[in-house]
Amino acid sequence: MRKNLLALVFLVGGITSTYSQKWKVSSAEVEFRSEAPLELIIASTQNVKGVLDFDKRQFAFIIPVSSFDGFNSPLQREHFNENYLETGKYPNAKFYGNIVGEFDANSNGDYEVKAIGTFDIHGVIQNREIKSIISVTSKGINISSSFLIPLEDHNIKIPTIVYQKIAEVIKVEMRAELTPI
Amino acid sequence: MARIILISLLLTSVFIANGQDDLLSMLEEEIADETFPVEATFKGTRLINGHSIETRKKNNFDFLISHRFGLISGGAYELFGLDQSNVRIGFDYGLTDYFNIGIGRNSFEKTYDSYLKYRILRQTSGKKSMPVSVTIFLSTAVETLKNNNKSVIADMSYANQILIARKFTPALSLQIMPTYVHFNKIEATQLRNDIWSLGAGGRLKLTQRISLNAEYYYQKAPLSDNTFNSLAIGFDIETGGHVFQLQFTNSQSMIEKGFITETYNDFFKGDIHFGFNISRTFQLAKE
Repeated sequence: MRKNLLALVFLVGGITSTYSQKWKVSSAEVEFRSEAPLELIIASTQNVKGVLDFDKRQFAFIIPVSSFDGFNSPLQREHFNENYLETGKYPNAKFYGNIVGEFDANSNGDYEVKAIGTFDIHGVIQNREIKSIISVTSKGINISSSFLIPLEDHNIKIPTIVYQKIAEVIKVEMRAELTPI
Repeated sequence: MARIILISLLLTSVFIANGQDDLLSMLEEEIADETFPVEATFKGTRLINGHSIETRKKNNFDFLISHRFGLISGGAYELFGLDQSNVRIGFDYGLTDYFNIGIGRNSFEKTYDSYLKYRILRQTSGKKSMPVSVTIFLSTAVETLKNNNKSVIADMSYANQILIARKFTPALSLQIMPTYVHFNKIEATQLRNDIWSLGAGGRLKLTQRISLNAEYYYQKAPLSDNTFNSLAIGFDIETGGHVFQLQFTNSQSMIEKGFITETYNDFFKGDIHFGFNISRTFQLAKE
């Protein structure tokens, strides 16, 4: 009697875990570019945490902002962390919400979807709708996206003295490989 | 039986009810397992007169010009000290991110100085949290004023420090500096060759680019009876690749053996020097 019940509990547990198709980021790169008249600044990070639930059509990404590297000098990187993004106060950039659009995680193909949700950078929350490509292949699932972030939207202020060196709108590109969990 | 089914249904509904917040908290837990270095405890490699725990990054070349004017108490006749000026011209270089070397030449007592600086611990936050940053500082100075000393060795002195600092908040960083200074040869009026000192200081950011700094060196047994402990109060002002430091201090010398042990002015009697440090950083090679 008791055995049967335990089996039932495990069965129900098992069903829920196969039912929810959760995938997590196994490797990823996020790069941003600031293209200003006097200076081009490029930085990137591989420290991208992400999880997608294709069944509930939900996603969440977190990036520790201080992990961005590249820049034109170590001092520039320090200013990025200290003066602009204030990573001591706001350590993580977050984006989480819902996946909207046609796609099937079980059949191969490229699907253009919209990621609609909460975009949190520098402690300022914006609702964003970002076009992304979900590529389902026999090897796995990749996602990629490119979008723009206006610094003003996140209360990142550029002093007039460096106005010609930092773009007002930052270009971001991301790609990630996913593995099931 | 019914109860068990109820429980399992309950469990299932818990799984289903979990939404984005669950995904997000899953990631937040993952991040909590990582360790992050604490950056930029101080804006510059100097707190005011003395060094901070900060080191120049690899291949960074820093050109420093420091001035200490005469005494403000000299009044309008001396234009509050601006008629006199001591200068130190210095070069700092990052061999690695953690190992720096530097040389300098001071007009005060025509002194040459050199130092080695090595960062042995870095403050971190996160899983493997390290509460402080620690940097070892070793320096040598040679006075080249014409005197009766027969050898260069006799004109040499050493100042060695352990710099320990913690960034408490993005705005507030504090540092303590146990220090040992040794003079190879002292004058008849001076009391001892070895001086131990404990320094303390910090910075408080007033705005994103301006901070208020303070620095004090305590000596229990000084070099001679007429010296005072060194006190300095100043501002760091940062603009792009430059850091300007403006300060008020009772010390005339700009190197450790000098300002720690050879300060002959009483800050609280108004015998204060105005001064500034300017540093310009050049990136010699990209990684």
